[in-house]
Amino acid sequence: MNHRGGWELIKNTWQSWIQHRGFFFLLAFGWMLPLLVYLFIWMAAAGDGSIAGLTQESLAGYYLLLILTNQLTYATTNWTVGDNIRYGQISRWLLQPMSPIYHALSQEIAGKIVFMLFSVPITGLLALIIRPQLNLDGVQILRFMPALLLAWGLRFFWGYWLALLAFWSTRADSLLALQDSLIFLLGGHLAPIALLPKTMQVIARILPFRYMSAFPVEILTGQLSNQEALVGFAIQAGWTVAAFLLYRWVWVHGVRRYEAVGG
Amino acid sequence: MYYFKLIGAFFKITSQAELAHRVNFFIRLLYSGLNLLTGVLSLVVIFSQIDQIKGWDMPAALALLGVYLLLGALRGLFIGPSLESVSGMDGEIWKGTFDFTLLRPVDQQFLISFRYWRIFALVDLVTSLGVLIYALVLLGTSLTIGMLVSFLLTLLAGVALLYAALLAFSALVFWNPSFLFTWVINDLFQLARYPVGLYPGWLSLILTWIIPVGLMTTIPAQALAGTLSPLMMILTLCFSLAALWIASWLFRQGLKKYSSASS
Repeated sequence: MNHRGGWELIKNTWQSWIQHRGFFFLLAFGWMLPLLVYLFIWMAAAGDGSIAGLTQESLAGYYLLLILTNQLTYATTNWTVGDNIRYGQISRWLLQPMSPIYHALSQEIAGKIVFMLFSVPITGLLALIIRPQLNLDGVQILRFMPALLLAWGLRFFWGYWLALLAFWSTRADSLLALQDSLIFLLGGHLAPIALLPKTMQVIARILPFRYMSAFPVEILTGQLSNQEALVGFAIQAGWTVAAFLLYRWVWVHGVRRYEAVGG
Repeated sequence: MYYFKLIGAFFKITSQAELAHRVNFFIRLLYSGLNLLTGVLSLVVIFSQIDQIKGWDMPAALALLGVYLLLGALRGLFIGPSLESVSGMDGEIWKGTFDFTLLRPVDQQFLISFRYWRIFALVDLVTSLGVLIYALVLLGTSLTIGMLVSFLLTLLAGVALLYAALLAFSALVFWNPSFLFTWVINDLFQLARYPVGLYPGWLSLILTWIIPVGLMTTIPAQALAGTLSPLMMILTLCFSLAALWIASWLFRQGLKKYSSASS
């Protein structure tokens, strides 16, 4: 594997994306809005009191951090993998002396930088308006980092193996839409997991979708006890390994089926 | 009459093209189902925690969801694709092929508003009507003929406001072809999913009188719930006529700025 080539590609991609930042800022704006909608709904529901132990201020803290975490873990590139296979772009990448996954990784890193350039100032501004309450301590921040990294890895590889099904079916994209809906319902977007009905809570704790977005935020805001955090990490790590193995399997078998005309 | 015949012809031609891709029907069905599922489950989750938020209970919120889905379906059926073909990504204004559109012997605003039809969006229309009818059943005996009439009138105003907003944002593309204004309004439309009164005061004011996405769904739903004052109804109707006029004026001003792309 050629890692130096991969690094050059990463640098190139983010420099070119910075030039088209207007487009990416719009994307980031679009992802932010649904979360803001539910922040405001739950704030209205909590009123001056609290709802399931969450006050307006703690809801604000949760959702503002979720906006950032969600954009850091959202794997935009998964949406283009299918197109690259259908239109034959991937032929060229297969000839290059490095793994095609570097193309996805470079766009991932470039994307995160550009999205944060928009989202960090905007959430900062929102924080001035709606005054979230956050009590962060060192241990939580220390635990948050690996949780965030695993969440990104899980979401990226999970979406990537789904997208690679494009080797078999041209409409594999619709599975990504399904994944987004499940993350919305079970990943803490519609409501913090603690506010879901009991059966949904259980499902959310087992399936991988909570571990792609809400889990790091729950850790950072101190919603979880030590034991809950530990169990969470175990499930998250398990799903991440599973997603990676699925990616490897689908890639190895899929690429053998691939054929392109022209180029 | 001539215009209705033209709409019929547009519908027939674009539908024939789309019916060639049957798989898209099932994809549409999936997306429509996901949309319905997330919408209804959101309400179930919210109202499992609280009986009513600021005067909105489950049936009223469901009626609002029905209106939201109905407007979204109409946007997907023809308003969206028609306007996107002019002002969207790779739209005619950007590419310069708008020249050919201008040469047609028919009113330009009519042509760009009714040209493209996505027949499969009828699935969304059916689902939204289903939600609306179910909400009407839940509201049940409290409905009067007067409420239904004011509902239909304000619903029409809501459609007019949505069309006016989309047309106005599309017209802005004449001034800056590289910015995707239509994405902004599509993003903001998501805020119409919930009653505008649930948002913080400053946001609620903006969504009522500046970018009236709040009015589009809240007012018809209020008419059904019987909480709409006659004054607000008259204001909404006048405002929607004014919005139509302003959007149309903006489009004609933009048209004067158009100077093709290349050649």
